[in-house]
Amino acid sequence: MPFVSNTLRPYLAAVRSTLTAVLCLENFSSQVVERHNKPEVEARSSPEIVLNPLTISRNENEKVLIEPSVNSIRISIKIKQADEIEGILCHKFTRFMMLRAENFIILRRKPINGYDISFLITNFHMEQMYKHKLVDFIIQFMEEVDKEISEMKLSLNARARIVAESYLSQLTQTCELIPGHKRNFSNFNFLNKSKVLSYRNFRISEQG
Amino acid sequence: MSPTEIHQLNLGPITAHAFNKDRSQVAICPNNNEVHVYQKSGKGWNLIHALVEHDKLVTSIDWAPESNQLVTCSQDRNAYVWTFDSVTNKWKPTLVLLRINRAATFVRWSPNENKFAVASGARCIAICYFDEENDWWTSKHLKKPIRSTVLSLDWHPNNVLLAAGCADFKARVFSAFVKGVDQKPPPTPWGDKLPFNTICGEFSNDSSGWIHSVSFSPSGDALAFSGHDSQICIVYAGGESQNIIRTTSLPYLSLLWITEEKLIAAGHDCVPVLFEKQGQLWKFSKVIDVGKKKVVTEATAFNKFQGWDSKGIREGSKETELNTIHQNTITSIRPYQGSRNDISYISSSGIDGKLVVWDLK
Amino acid sequence: MILLDYHNVVIEETLKQPIVGLEPAVLDMTVVDFDGVSYRISTPQSKNIIRFSMLMQCFKELIQWGAQEMLQKEYGAYILPQTESGYDFSLEFDLQKLPEDKEERETLVKKVSLIKRNLLAQPFERAFEQQAQYEAEEQTNPTPILMQIHYRDQETIYIQAQYDRVTVIFSTLFKEETDRIFGRVFLQEFVDARRRPAIQKAPQVLYSSKDPPLEIRHLTEPQNENVGYVTFVLFPRHFVEGEVREKTISQIQLFRDYLHYHIKCSKAYMHSRMRARVQAFLKVLNRAKPESPTVEKKTITGKTLVRA
Repeated sequence: MPFVSNTLRPYLAAVRSTLTAVLCLENFSSQVVERHNKPEVEARSSPEIVLNPLTISRNENEKVLIEPSVNSIRISIKIKQADEIEGILCHKFTRFMMLRAENFIILRRKPINGYDISFLITNFHMEQMYKHKLVDFIIQFMEEVDKEISEMKLSLNARARIVAESYLSQLTQTCELIPGHKRNFSNFNFLNKSKVLSYRNFRISEQG
Repeated sequence: MSPTEIHQLNLGPITAHAFNKDRSQVAICPNNNEVHVYQKSGKGWNLIHALVEHDKLVTSIDWAPESNQLVTCSQDRNAYVWTFDSVTNKWKPTLVLLRINRAATFVRWSPNENKFAVASGARCIAICYFDEENDWWTSKHLKKPIRSTVLSLDWHPNNVLLAAGCADFKARVFSAFVKGVDQKPPPTPWGDKLPFNTICGEFSNDSSGWIHSVSFSPSGDALAFSGHDSQICIVYAGGESQNIIRTTSLPYLSLLWITEEKLIAAGHDCVPVLFEKQGQLWKFSKVIDVGKKKVVTEATAFNKFQGWDSKGIREGSKETELNTIHQNTITSIRPYQGSRNDISYISSSGIDGKLVVWDLK
Repeated sequence: MILLDYHNVVIEETLKQPIVGLEPAVLDMTVVDFDGVSYRISTPQSKNIIRFSMLMQCFKELIQWGAQEMLQKEYGAYILPQTESGYDFSLEFDLQKLPEDKEERETLVKKVSLIKRNLLAQPFERAFEQQAQYEAEEQTNPTPILMQIHYRDQETIYIQAQYDRVTVIFSTLFKEETDRIFGRVFLQEFVDARRRPAIQKAPQVLYSSKDPPLEIRHLTEPQNENVGYVTFVLFPRHFVEGEVREKTISQIQLFRDYLHYHIKCSKAYMHSRMRARVQAFLKVLNRAKPESPTVEKKTITGKTLVRA
């Protein structure tokens, strides 16, 4: 496992064991609509087959909402966004993923209000996949999405610095650096002197 | 007989399975609207019949050992009784008048095979019996006080009492006495006078979970039920308290008494577990599945690169699979061999499409 | 490629063959440049006469700041009196009347490809001259004119000469939220970069979003969240006549294009990164799927494909 900070470990462990416990789903046909079989966590047709939702928080900016039901669960993740840049990167990244929701069969096309990304896992997904590996996926996603966003931010800052420096370094070549401009050089010195003088004058006049 | 037989009968889930009397044939539902009947041949199974009459997922199958009739129920709200016609070599379906308007979830023949019970999402249980006069299967409904989908059923050996586990967090014992079909039963600890729809007991587990499975002990004097809170409760008729077995595992979906003092449970943990009565207390005894030795096959270059391409890992499926025989939730365990009060082999099926026969000795 | 070229490469490449190499060819093409500038290079009458026309949004403003003199001086011999319709300015080159010297012809091509730069340089030149004048006349508190060049819709360059400095202000519009935030990161780095010893001598850069700087606050402009203002403070040492001045002008006028070019590059990079990461996530999800048992496959000849 890559580097995981100390507070992250118990947080992910809590999410992992909760997911393992709530991913006990069964094929459940609707009690309300004839011949329908819909994820009850979305349909919410009968209250007794939807369990209490629970939230696991690392801090107020990072939390997971898990809503279990008899045949489906919904996992919504709020990803850390320390500033505006991380916010926009997170938004772009989750949007990018959600546009590819059909590849990520468990991804919900829209997050739940207040969260950045939501997964909807039904009993049909559990029939096709290993539960422990599916839980691994969610955990790995949570781990790496933070890392990815901070790396993207770093690379943006690095790029900005290089761009700014290369641009401004083009403007630093005052005449001292260019040989063969003797006249200008002396001229420049003269200008500099007069600037200092006039600057003083200016201040005096201002005070006066 | 070999210790543990494993048969991969489907790639997806097996939603239900039932053996015939001599275990030479098995009926399974491969997670669709069909029922497949397999014939044993040597160590394997050959598909001999596909029973297609339902139009939605078949949820439960039961095979009456003596009368050799199959009953199936489905989410399409129907149940069929199938009889084998040896002349045409075909299974013939007969529609049962269930009169329910939601999915049927569970079906079991009564011990005498003159009735069967169908659980449903319509918050009722249909007790079905053959109406000689009209020449069809008809039904009476057990309705009160069920408030949610009935998830499982079990018949008392006296052919009258029926236990039901329900998503309204209750396990109940009903009388399913049908006048004209049943003889008046002798008194039981559950009650003496038993007209239809008498509630002989209503139980819940202390933390309120859906009741996934109910099972009568061989004598019928005790009832075990398992809930979504991963507890198993055992109640004795007329007894004061419930015996609660608290476990740290995931919920159990199926229970089976193998003797009066031993109970097998299986579910989301993918392994059957044995519980035993020691003195007055019920305790966890052992896990039936001993785990299997990993067979490490030499990965071919093709598999290696395929794994790398699609999963981003170099090894094959080494660490992907669980260290258990069933690779996904076990949904059903049933007696395979032995008498009702001393079962020596059980069979299990689950979401991983495996049918496993376990030797309990 | 971090820095942008000052000249238009397409124009240079296109004109090289006929003008430098004296190989006439039939031409009719439209070339675009930054800030919505477009050119048309055509040979309407014969292969030997190349017409070069230019369309520029702020052309009229630039004329006002002395561009006409520059055009006369630099391109005078080639100016087409009758400007092509739909364009602001036209040149015509008769291949039979070009200078004999090959090097001179090369300079000419270079000059044409730099036409946008040269036009935009006029207000800068003027401001620098004005500053020199203020200083020479010891006008410590002059009332300078504020030159406005509306180089794009809703985006303007303001140039103002003062007693000891020339201030250049860019207003730039960020069309998307992402651009705005990325832009802020970049501009913050422009502001901070001067802390580095190597570029301490660079002009001071100030950045503000929303509120326009003092110099242009009196101009009633629609306040827009997505507009950013960047101020360059140029001291005489930055525009010493000659090479330094030319370079500064070239560099400063490309600022907006440079900034947006790099914002776009960053976005493209983020996109490719996300694509790779999403692919990696998919692989992790694929691990949850059991391996499907091998299905019998047939080769095209009907034989069964066997995998060992």
